[in-house]
Amino acid sequence: MNRRTVLKSSAALLAAPFLHIRPVRADKGELVVVSWGGDYDTAIRDLAVPAFQKNTGYTVKMDAPPENAKVKAMVQSGNVGWDVILTDIPAVLTLTKDTLLEPLDYGAIDKAKLDKIPKELQQPYAIGQRIYSFNIVYNTNALPKPKHPRDWAEVWDQKHFPGGRTFNFQGGIEPQLEVALLADGVPVDKLYPLDIERAWKMFDKLRPLVSKWYTSHAQAIQLIGADEASVGCTIGPRGITAKHAGAPIDVDYNQGKLASDNWCLVKGVRDKKIAMEFINQALDPKVQAGIAQRVPYGPSNGGAFEFLSASEAADLNTSPDNIKEQFWQNVQWWSTPGADGKTPREAQAERFAKWMVAG
Amino acid sequence: MAAIPGRRFPRPWRSGEGLLVLPALLFYLAVYLYPLSRIAAWSLFERGFTLKFYRELLDEPMYFRALGNTLEISFLSTALCLLLGYPLAYLMATTSARARSALMVLVLIPFWTSILVRTFAWMVILGNNGMVNRTLMALGLTGAPVKLLFNMLGVQIGMVHVLLPFMVFPLFAVMSGIDPNILRVARSLGAAPRRAFRHVFLPLSLPGIAAGCVLVFLLAVGFYVTPALLGGPGQITLATMIEMQINTFLNWGFAASLGIVLLLVVGGIFAAFSTLLGIGRLTGEA
Repeated sequence: MNRRTVLKSSAALLAAPFLHIRPVRADKGELVVVSWGGDYDTAIRDLAVPAFQKNTGYTVKMDAPPENAKVKAMVQSGNVGWDVILTDIPAVLTLTKDTLLEPLDYGAIDKAKLDKIPKELQQPYAIGQRIYSFNIVYNTNALPKPKHPRDWAEVWDQKHFPGGRTFNFQGGIEPQLEVALLADGVPVDKLYPLDIERAWKMFDKLRPLVSKWYTSHAQAIQLIGADEASVGCTIGPRGITAKHAGAPIDVDYNQGKLASDNWCLVKGVRDKKIAMEFINQALDPKVQAGIAQRVPYGPSNGGAFEFLSASEAADLNTSPDNIKEQFWQNVQWWSTPGADGKTPREAQAERFAKWMVAG
Repeated sequence: MAAIPGRRFPRPWRSGEGLLVLPALLFYLAVYLYPLSRIAAWSLFERGFTLKFYRELLDEPMYFRALGNTLEISFLSTALCLLLGYPLAYLMATTSARARSALMVLVLIPFWTSILVRTFAWMVILGNNGMVNRTLMALGLTGAPVKLLFNMLGVQIGMVHVLLPFMVFPLFAVMSGIDPNILRVARSLGAAPRRAFRHVFLPLSLPGIAAGCVLVFLLAVGFYVTPALLGGPGQITLATMIEMQINTFLNWGFAASLGIVLLLVVGGIFAAFSTLLGIGRLTGEA
């Protein structure tokens, strides 16, 4: 799944014949953890790895990104170079459908940690590590706070909130049907099952407002920061990162859609016990708090907030104040196959492409 | 086409010389033809032989639109590269050695940065608040920003920037092999410079044009990053569709059928061209 890294992966595709022949085969005493690169990986390396290394004597080698296609190629060729991957629920579902993952061993995770992690984030093949969210991200010069759009209906309202819009297309993310329905006034507790036709009518209204359908979240942030779009729907934590870096960007968490990135074991993981111990360390509240201080994704372990200041918490999507303004994406709805054997995720992604190409 | 002085007729291979191509041939077999055959197999087999992927593809006009977009983008960037690259290569081939190496460096500079960085840089330069639009507005040439991005124009600017060297180098290689004395002869026989160019230099540079166009077109067909980042909905390419099937849905059979169709179409275009123009002649064979 390359939700955030279409670009990276496409660059890799271009270079694939030359660079990607090397399998990342771990040496003995080494665990290969695959995440999304960048500061998050560095934070994992600095904060979660030391305790793991002390307990097991293993070192950690990090790779990125954990694309579905690579996992499939590895498992099929019997040359599995990855042990633990961090990926989102749609990817988890696609991977489990093809039996490319190994079930987790919950006995290997400290009970105290599990108690603080929401039950929905504890799945047989995946356990939540960090929370991302699709939020209202806006340019603070074009739409200065507090005169910025505060809900999705206002994002659809270009008359009162001028400027272009930016929404996702491609990159394995489904169309933002929930967001479209909220913009049309559907109450959040009545969202699922989604009224698909109603949502697409709202998309027809959105189309002329969009200055660019972004292909990666990095692009979305660039577009909003440069005021190519005054407001968009993209990953809130990325907006916060940009804000901290001094960009004229801010995030309104109201009506945001929450979802999780999860630890999973690749089928054929060499040493499950060792891999589980790594996951156990990464779920530590203090570790997660430290990571969130550097990369502002919500920690999955609620205990992390005991180690965070009020101002740090204010910028995180899972802080007690922010989380109650948002809703969890119903992954079950998106992944239950319909009569034709296609999941809504597949069917709607296809419809999205058709709608876009016909535009 | 006039006979080229100094060119010998190819002599038949001596036995043993054929061995020289063997390593390249084996390499191609292993890393190209074998994987390609696997991809062809994916598109035709799913628990037994099936044409369902192709049927699905033919049933859906979206894929033809995407294919049309891909070819349109590729033809246009090939034409633009030729238009910009030919005079540049001509200058490089005919100027002093010092100026030539300076030009060579300038042509190569785009290679030093990654395609991703270059593409993002164009977004900064061409945006509504970018350098170009701000200059245009400061000069009073336009009241509102000109739309330079997220359309065909943006895609072409980004792609020609990346692809131009692939046009310039084959052209330059062929042009620098053209004996300047031939042009002098043409001039001394009374041809005006323009006529000498059209009847002598241009035909002799045709192999370079053919090589450059083939190279640029093929690279353009496979472009993914630039149209995705700099284009709008009208520039959605088949590569985008293939990526979606491979990575998002792990539907490799269908993705393979899309790839094979693209390969066949591009192969067909080449077959048509070589019959039309005689690609053998263009590449300098006899």
